[in-house]
Amino acid sequence: MDDVRMNSGAGVYFDGRTSARHDAQVALGRSSLQIAGADGRPLGEWRYDEIEALSAPDNILRLGRRGSAVLERLEIADPKFAALIDERAGNVDRSGTLQRRQRLRVIGWSISATASLLLVAYFGVPAIAARLTPVVPAAIERKLGDAVDMEVRGVLDSKHTGDKFECGRGDSERPGRAALDKLVQRLETAAALPLPLRVAVVRRGEANAIALPGGRIYVFRGLIAKADNADEVAGVIAHEIGHVAHRDGTKRVLQGAGLSFLFGMLLGDFVGGGAVVYAGRTVLQSSYSREVEAAADIYGAELMIRAHGNARALAVMLGKIGGATEPGMKILLDHPQTKARIAAINRIAPSSPGTPFLDETEWSALKRICTG
Amino acid sequence: MTSLEASVPAGGVQFLGQRGAYWRLLVRGAVLLMLTLGIYRFWLATDVRRFLWANTQIAGETLEYTGTALELLIGFLVAIAILVPVYAGFFVGALELGTLGQMSSMIAFAALFLLGQYAIYRARRYRLTRTIYRGLRFHQEGSAWRYAIRAVLWWIVTVLTLGLAYPFQLASLERFKMRNTFYGDLAGDFAGSGFRLFLYGLPMWFLVMAPLVLAVAAFVNEVDWGALAAVISQGGDDMMARIEGSNPALASAIVFAMLMAGTSVAMAALLYPAFQALVLRWWSSGLRFGAITVHSKLRVRRVYAAYMRFLWYAILFSILLAIAAVPALAVVGALTGDDQAGALGEAVATGILLVGYVVAALGFSTVYRATVLLSLWQLGMESLQLSGLSALDRVKAIGAPASAVGEGLADALNVGGY
Repeated sequence: MDDVRMNSGAGVYFDGRTSARHDAQVALGRSSLQIAGADGRPLGEWRYDEIEALSAPDNILRLGRRGSAVLERLEIADPKFAALIDERAGNVDRSGTLQRRQRLRVIGWSISATASLLLVAYFGVPAIAARLTPVVPAAIERKLGDAVDMEVRGVLDSKHTGDKFECGRGDSERPGRAALDKLVQRLETAAALPLPLRVAVVRRGEANAIALPGGRIYVFRGLIAKADNADEVAGVIAHEIGHVAHRDGTKRVLQGAGLSFLFGMLLGDFVGGGAVVYAGRTVLQSSYSREVEAAADIYGAELMIRAHGNARALAVMLGKIGGATEPGMKILLDHPQTKARIAAINRIAPSSPGTPFLDETEWSALKRICTG
Repeated sequence: MTSLEASVPAGGVQFLGQRGAYWRLLVRGAVLLMLTLGIYRFWLATDVRRFLWANTQIAGETLEYTGTALELLIGFLVAIAILVPVYAGFFVGALELGTLGQMSSMIAFAALFLLGQYAIYRARRYRLTRTIYRGLRFHQEGSAWRYAIRAVLWWIVTVLTLGLAYPFQLASLERFKMRNTFYGDLAGDFAGSGFRLFLYGLPMWFLVMAPLVLAVAAFVNEVDWGALAAVISQGGDDMMARIEGSNPALASAIVFAMLMAGTSVAMAALLYPAFQALVLRWWSSGLRFGAITVHSKLRVRRVYAAYMRFLWYAILFSILLAIAAVPALAVVGALTGDDQAGALGEAVATGILLVGYVVAALGFSTVYRATVLLSLWQLGMESLQLSGLSALDRVKAIGAPASAVGEGLADALNVGGY
């Protein structure tokens, strides 16, 4: 129609050397755009294949030259004339088709990266941690244990009692400590671990016990209060010795470091990312810990058999405390699992009561280990 | 053309962007962020900046953002390469140093805070060198480490003075930034006075602090500290009961303190938009480029209006969330309520809860960005009156694009901005 008139149009030109604004007349040549000033002086000639469209408001086509160190800019406000340039310049992509295709590729790759990240977190991290744990030297495991111990004490010892946090140090608590040592000695002999155990009762009300890397085990006073005899306490300690023997504490630290890295660093800073990182870690670590707990149960029951104790005592104790051995894991309900754990222990444990770990006086001394 | 130019005041700034387009951009971005576990953030950040820059028209010409998402991604990967050894060093240090290791988390916090400030300055350099106006780029000089040390020292002073030094901190850091900022060969400067902002902000500071002071005063007067110390040093299980016995006024003092703390928080929330408007107006009025001066006429009530819009959309979104939560929670209940629920059921249930959480967090943040942040940009820009613009006819190009490592560090350390 008006093709003749449309062979040229108005534009605004910036030469990229100064900020001066030039009203320009733009002519469509055979293979290039010819830009001239209002006075007719030539300002530039751009080949169609070196023209690119740049970010601009919707009603303006902003052009530049690809790979040019000088930021020359040509702005076209007339939509009809802009469309004519778009037709001629292959890299100008006003409809956004090229960009959309590129975006889709990015999205596709990101989603597959996400999938592989999750697979690595679920299968890779525990596998790597399990391979690495045996080659961690005992000296390092001990140091790791000391570092973890400091953290754990900081969290558990909420009243900042310091040295008094451990029971069995006061004068009236000594007999209890002796009874605990006797009980642990029998288990330790049967277990024949390569490293010495350091078992202590601490002033915490929950019915729980934890094993740290490097052979440290803390039994909470609440557990002793819930137990009806020494074998039940011994059963739980045997379970924790299982964690020590399997070096689960070290494995857990390695897994935690791996997961922190995967989720924390790579996912970075999108809103809610922090909580997702935390929840993801908790869920994954507790999914690892199901198998770990089951293995420690079996070890504990077998250790009790070797020590000639009541191998079912651990199952009895589990039933009492509902299997809630992991504080702060409320995302996953532990109760359904407890029944399965009790059944698994009872499958391998004979129902004979065995030889009691402590006599009546020793047991009542142990019950008073935290009274000082 | 002439009619269009006549409608734009000579020294005016206009925002041309459509709210609808920005909403679409953000909502699509939020969905993709979720699907890609956040990797899409580099593309979203680039889209957002392109939109804001391109639609900001200063004296008839729009800004142009030339950064790309790929640059941000590479910057982030480089930052990871820098940070991994740093984190590993902290980990090993904590193990090797024993008791000194107890301090390692404090040292790590201090070091990462310093690094964060460093990143903020480097990221600003990246953004400035990707900002083109009339065919010339902005750039930033000055040492990022010197900025970081200055910023950390100021933060310490600000915390120690309970925020009273904050206006002086802002002024000092902004002077450092702006005196190192250039548009072509046109040097920037900052003329805002910290003391003036201090005077503006002082009444707000008193309104927020007064309830807290009353709470502390109540404690000091009402509580028998000697008796309290004696009971605590005695320890034991019945400690709480004995504390109550020895200190009958303690309970009412605690209740009063909690009420006052609540008042203080409510005050802070109510005053925050006004404070934001105040700082924005003060800051923009202090900007200088050569002979070009800026004056802002931002109205505080328009910032409140933006927050009201945020509240309105947030309530709407909450209702939608609540409606969607009913079937989701029913599924979760069905999966976990049964005693025989397997590990798979629990994993699915946990997944549903996680997705719900992420949808909520991303949703509210999207609403906030599309209402408050966009309005602050638009109001901040449109309230500007520039003078001395004739300087724009003879600015010469200097400066080269800077790398995006600072952006990557800022991202990895969670101190990113726009």
